[in-house]
Amino acid sequence: MKYVILIHANPDPWGHPTSRYNPEGRALPATQHDEMDRQFEALLEELSASGEFVTAEALADPASSTLYGWTPEGHLATDGPYAEAKEQLAGFFLIDCASRERAEEIAAQFAQPGGTVELRPVMWPAGDDQ
Amino acid sequence: MTSASLEDVWRTSAPHVLAALARRSGDFGAAEDAVQEAVVAAARQWPADGTPEDPKAWLIRVASRRLVDQRRTEQARTDRELRVAQHTPPAASLAPAADTPDEGERDDSLTLLLLCCHPALTRPSQVALTLRAVGGLRTAQIARAFLVPEATMAQRISRAKARLLEVGARFTLPPAEELPDRVAAVAQVLYLIFTEGHTATTGTGLTDVSLAGEAIRLTRQLHRRLPAAAEVSGLLALMLLTDARRAARTGPDGSLVPLASQDRSLWDRARIDEGVRLLEAALPAGPVGPYQLQAAIAAVHAEAPSAADTDWAQIATLYRMLDTVAPGPMVALNHAVAVAMVDGPAAGLAMLEPLLEDRRLRRHHRLHAVHAHLLEMDGRAEEARAAYATAARLATSIPEQRYLNTRAAAGTGRQS
Repeated sequence: MKYVILIHANPDPWGHPTSRYNPEGRALPATQHDEMDRQFEALLEELSASGEFVTAEALADPASSTLYGWTPEGHLATDGPYAEAKEQLAGFFLIDCASRERAEEIAAQFAQPGGTVELRPVMWPAGDDQ
Repeated sequence: MTSASLEDVWRTSAPHVLAALARRSGDFGAAEDAVQEAVVAAARQWPADGTPEDPKAWLIRVASRRLVDQRRTEQARTDRELRVAQHTPPAASLAPAADTPDEGERDDSLTLLLLCCHPALTRPSQVALTLRAVGGLRTAQIARAFLVPEATMAQRISRAKARLLEVGARFTLPPAEELPDRVAAVAQVLYLIFTEGHTATTGTGLTDVSLAGEAIRLTRQLHRRLPAAAEVSGLLALMLLTDARRAARTGPDGSLVPLASQDRSLWDRARIDEGVRLLEAALPAGPVGPYQLQAAIAAVHAEAPSAADTDWAQIATLYRMLDTVAPGPMVALNHAVAVAMVDGPAAGLAMLEPLLEDRRLRRHHRLHAVHAHLLEMDGRAEEARAAYATAARLATSIPEQRYLNTRAAAGTGRQS
């Protein structure tokens, strides 16, 4: 089963890792950031080794996005950001694991200062007949 | 020869070629790389030059040449790095006589399967390595079948091979006392490949493979090596009986047709007969395991001329047995359905009560789909609709969600 782990954050200025660019993160000592980085690297290493890691991307500043609306006359393009939300989509990880419990166990470890981590199942184009 | 039948030729030969090389060189990972290169060379040369008379001998010859080249390159690098003047030639034994028949060929494919499903590997790695080394599939095909990037799959395979080297896994049969557990792991891997394929809408591209078909092919091989292993027979029977429904499980518009509504004339009778025969031979042989029980349940469905004729009492008994051998919330859920069909919806609903509180099932769409179905049987239309809506919200399969939304909207006059 595939799950996406969405990282919602509002780094200012925009930057990655987002936890280094927000007030909650800046309040932490460098040693704690180093320790968190080390743990995160170890987690990614573990997920790659287990075959659960599929892919991941960090996203650019939402101000650099282009939005397309649809009208019967054609599409309408405007400059981003999409919404003046408190938190923006900053990146995602796609994982493939045996159960929801395992996905929750992994996603919990993505929790970080100044952001919200969202775990969502990925839809698949197939199904069972029972 | 068409490219599809060419592919068949090298895919049947690839595991034997790999076994021959791995046994002689002792380095499974390097042998596997060499065989992949030989397969790529075959894909390029055979369509142009014609298929060689003995394709297996051709593949062995080319693969061992690659293996020797690989060793030379590595040797050269080592020499450079260590600045060793004296050149040590690679062992001459690396190049086997190309067409020596393999004495141990019968056991080789079993050894290969056991090695690919080595306990030191994670389940996804076992699956990937089995499909590549035993199934002879290319990394790109495996990646496409599992909908992951090719680079991810390539890394998974190379890590798996490195891990085998690390733990010193040898290309030999494990001691007899370890064999049952090791074979059980192989069965689990093959079953996982099958369910992935059975539930997927497979691509129609010429080189796309059917994972279900591949799992059946490999399980047949395993059954041929171990005809007395009742659970292997049970697994093969389960796959055949489930796969028999393939043509009936999707409608002309690609929608999912549930078992009860399937056109049973589309079921593959030859597969059903073979599955039933395997099961009848396996069941009296000894303790009945979970694969045999699941196959027996599939056989009861397969033998019912219509959904209304289903022998639910027998299915309920089989689920009760399965719940003893391999308990789990999914088994309990299916058991409740069977009981409802025998003793009425109230009996089934009573069995669902504890499951609705189960943390593992609470957010699973199937629990709510079953709940909805039993409420509907009990004449509680409003509650049924609400349960169908919950099930639809939780479903992660697009066709299942579409089906559940239709049920939730039924009677409300609302289009889903």
